[in-house]
Amino acid sequence: MTESDFATRLNDRFPEGVTADEREGYQGYIIAADKLIEFATALRDEFEFDYLSSVTGVDYPDEGKLEAVYHAYKTIGGAELVFKVQTDRENPEIPSLIDIYPGADFQEREAWDLLGIKFTGHPDLRRILLWEGFEGHPLRKDWQEAYYEADKKPFKSRWPKAEYTRAEAKNPYGANVKYPDKFDPEKWVPEGEDALYGSLAKYETTDKDGLKTDHLTVNLGPQHPSTHGVFRIAATLDGEKIMNLNPVMGYLHRNHEKIGERNTYLQNMPFTDRLDYLSSLSNNFGYAIAVEKLIGIEVPERAEYIRVIMAELTRVQNHLFAIGMFLNDIGAFFTPSLYAIEERELVLDVFEMVTGSRMMCNYLRFGGLARDLPDGSLQKIRDLVFDRLPRKTDEMDRFLSENEILRSRTVGQGYLSTEDAIKYSAAGPVLRASGVPYDIRRADPYSIYDRFKFDVAVRYNGDIYDRYYIRLDEIRESIKILQQAVEQIPEGEIQTGKPRYQMKVPKGESYGRVEGPKGELGFYLVSDGTGNPYRYHVRAPSFINLTAFGPMCKGLKVADVVAVLGSIDIVLGETDR
Amino acid sequence: MDSALIWEMVIKSLVLILALLTGFAYLTYYERRGLARIQSRVGPNRAGPAGLLQPIADAVKLIFKEEFTPGQAYKVIFILAPIITVIPAILITATVPWGGTVTIGGREVMLGIADINIGVLYIMSVASIAVYGVVLAGWASNNKYAMMGGLRSTAQMISYELALGLSFVGVILLANSMRMTEIVEAQRGLWFAFLQPVGAVVFFFATLAELNRGPFDMPEAEQELSAGYNVEYSGMKFALFFMAEYTKMVSISAIIATLFWGGYRGPFIDTMPGLGPLYMFIKIFFILFMMIWVRASWPRIRYDRLMDLGWKILLPLSLSLVFINATGILLNQMWLIPLLSIGAGFLAIQAINLSLRRKENAR
Repeated sequence: MTESDFATRLNDRFPEGVTADEREGYQGYIIAADKLIEFATALRDEFEFDYLSSVTGVDYPDEGKLEAVYHAYKTIGGAELVFKVQTDRENPEIPSLIDIYPGADFQEREAWDLLGIKFTGHPDLRRILLWEGFEGHPLRKDWQEAYYEADKKPFKSRWPKAEYTRAEAKNPYGANVKYPDKFDPEKWVPEGEDALYGSLAKYETTDKDGLKTDHLTVNLGPQHPSTHGVFRIAATLDGEKIMNLNPVMGYLHRNHEKIGERNTYLQNMPFTDRLDYLSSLSNNFGYAIAVEKLIGIEVPERAEYIRVIMAELTRVQNHLFAIGMFLNDIGAFFTPSLYAIEERELVLDVFEMVTGSRMMCNYLRFGGLARDLPDGSLQKIRDLVFDRLPRKTDEMDRFLSENEILRSRTVGQGYLSTEDAIKYSAAGPVLRASGVPYDIRRADPYSIYDRFKFDVAVRYNGDIYDRYYIRLDEIRESIKILQQAVEQIPEGEIQTGKPRYQMKVPKGESYGRVEGPKGELGFYLVSDGTGNPYRYHVRAPSFINLTAFGPMCKGLKVADVVAVLGSIDIVLGETDR
Repeated sequence: MDSALIWEMVIKSLVLILALLTGFAYLTYYERRGLARIQSRVGPNRAGPAGLLQPIADAVKLIFKEEFTPGQAYKVIFILAPIITVIPAILITATVPWGGTVTIGGREVMLGIADINIGVLYIMSVASIAVYGVVLAGWASNNKYAMMGGLRSTAQMISYELALGLSFVGVILLANSMRMTEIVEAQRGLWFAFLQPVGAVVFFFATLAELNRGPFDMPEAEQELSAGYNVEYSGMKFALFFMAEYTKMVSISAIIATLFWGGYRGPFIDTMPGLGPLYMFIKIFFILFMMIWVRASWPRIRYDRLMDLGWKILLPLSLSLVFINATGILLNQMWLIPLLSIGAGFLAIQAINLSLRRKENAR
């Protein structure tokens, strides 16, 4: 079905309420708010767009409008479908899609939290990243932070006539925080907690002798050894059994997206490193693709190869770390993780050699790379991908995969069915371990991935064991890609045109997505033609994969919660942004 | 009872307690270095030559740390709990013989505190007291994690005491005595570990559960319950728990060595009974290494799986081992015992494997 076929079909099905988005540089469709439910149902059931990838919003104060932006896919592959719903800025109400795509749950809460779009029909529309004492919705254009200087970077000189004032002097301590109406932080009892616990099902039974059994509410985190950062799990227990579970996040929230809007396009490149700090090169890749789509520049051949090599090495080291830490979570006393970290360090050595940094690589540029591969680095990569990494992957497989305790902890536990995985918009290894062979490198190839021979790793049991094992599979597939890329890499330029600090970015929107190690990493950019992005949204896989976390854990034991969380593999820098 | 006997007892106890306490301190060093080697690290090597002063540095740090008592804790029990844990760990070694009888200054001295005729029973009963400390600590802390840790440890104790006790029964049958010295002497020909290999393995795992060590460290379970029953403890109170665990490791290793690995027996022991403690030391050293090795290599078993293992596999297995021992002794065909018990162990392994099969969407 071609693009225009689809448009005609859509037009026939919805003669009213669905119009193509014809603003300059924009794509997709604008849906009338009252048609949204009908449209989404038809989209899922008739047009086979069964996977709602991202939900976000954009604020257009000049037009007095707030716009919710949705990206949907077919899990059989193909390009995305963008559709938008516009609503009044003063009283923004949009019907919630949670019944049609349950994966919209956290994302709608995030859009409510940061933009103030009210999703009617959402059962639990609370703030998700910010706290209850927060005034306003920070991603709205008229919201200003406490130490506000200017809308856009680079800021004007801070002391133009050598008169130096600190931003703190303008906003003294005590006056730098705004609270909502009638909110007194001194007297505040976290009523949000009540709402949180209220959202967990109440559990109280009386047995035949009249003995009452109550549930036990336990908070795992924010300070907990196995939450991989400051992450909190509020759980209701019956003995050791999980009755209900809700993830609570936002402890590491820094409003990445607002800062991203203040930054210039290039300044965001190192900033993406800080999202998922284990796989910074993948983050760079996604952002570079989004901006390049906007500008419309090509990337030289050699640069594409180096990008692929770096992205795949990132995947290898991320998965090694994930496996090691997962084993740690189920109680192996650091031995597997240290063995995995040993290999990861070798990959990081390559990163350091090539990019100058081990973790915050900041290596990609729009239309190319920051610098070429230094002498000897290719040989180092060769040694790794032809000898050391395959050997060590097999070794880890041999040591771990058949271990009785590991199997007894993981096989059949934390089950996520294929339908649920799609429904909850799970991405990456979590989706593929549930039997959906969806890998963006194959489904909607970007860069030069269509040239390489590799298989999409997929496993069908959807349990923790498969989510563990699929990471080993993916390491092996990545090594295959790496071996081909290292052999084929041509000589040549690494940058289209001159490297520049400030890019001319035409008006429009773009969505760049890559298959990051943790799943689909997408960057949604809106440009108004200036040097800074008008809207910069990150579709964070760690965040959205957590939607399926609660359902996966129901009925398991406390010990399994940690294992399930480890098998999802989250990084809080990305979850909380 | 003459005064010399009292002095002998006091001195022997003192030596043993001091040896246990230094042993505990250096066991932590041994474990950390051993783990580090297994994990391709170096381990503590800063304090003193090769890090040998590390335990002292740790002790100084723990002594000077703030003792924090949670507001709603039940204070008396909160303070009592670590003491209840640590005392049985030291008492347990009283019946372990460290060597034969040596002559010091014309006086025959038995190397070992007490050689009572129900030594094995004594060990069983004293060892179980320690769990009270854990449960009470969990309960008195007024903390949900601690409570869950305490509850786990009771359940674990009940399911493992049986396998442990039945392994003792096997040894009692073979030695025809409950007196520890006689059990050692009964191994003059062949160590019980070779006569009853599966029994030795079952006993080893049951003691791991008893010690709350990996892969059975459920009551602590750092990754799940932060630190489990001792989550609210700090300073010396925490150090007491720590001490109890490691002292008990030494004691239990000594018991394993006595029951299955010939105790203080070794080459030339009959001519030079003073070698006994040395042989004990070597055996304890190796058994401790086994414990460290297990901790370094295996993930933690889940709580309910552990109960399954205890009740459904280890209990029947150790019962059948008792039966096999009795049969072998009754028929006076000792060669039957290792043969049949290995068969039983093989069946048990098959049962474990069977339970690990992938079930259709099993929960």
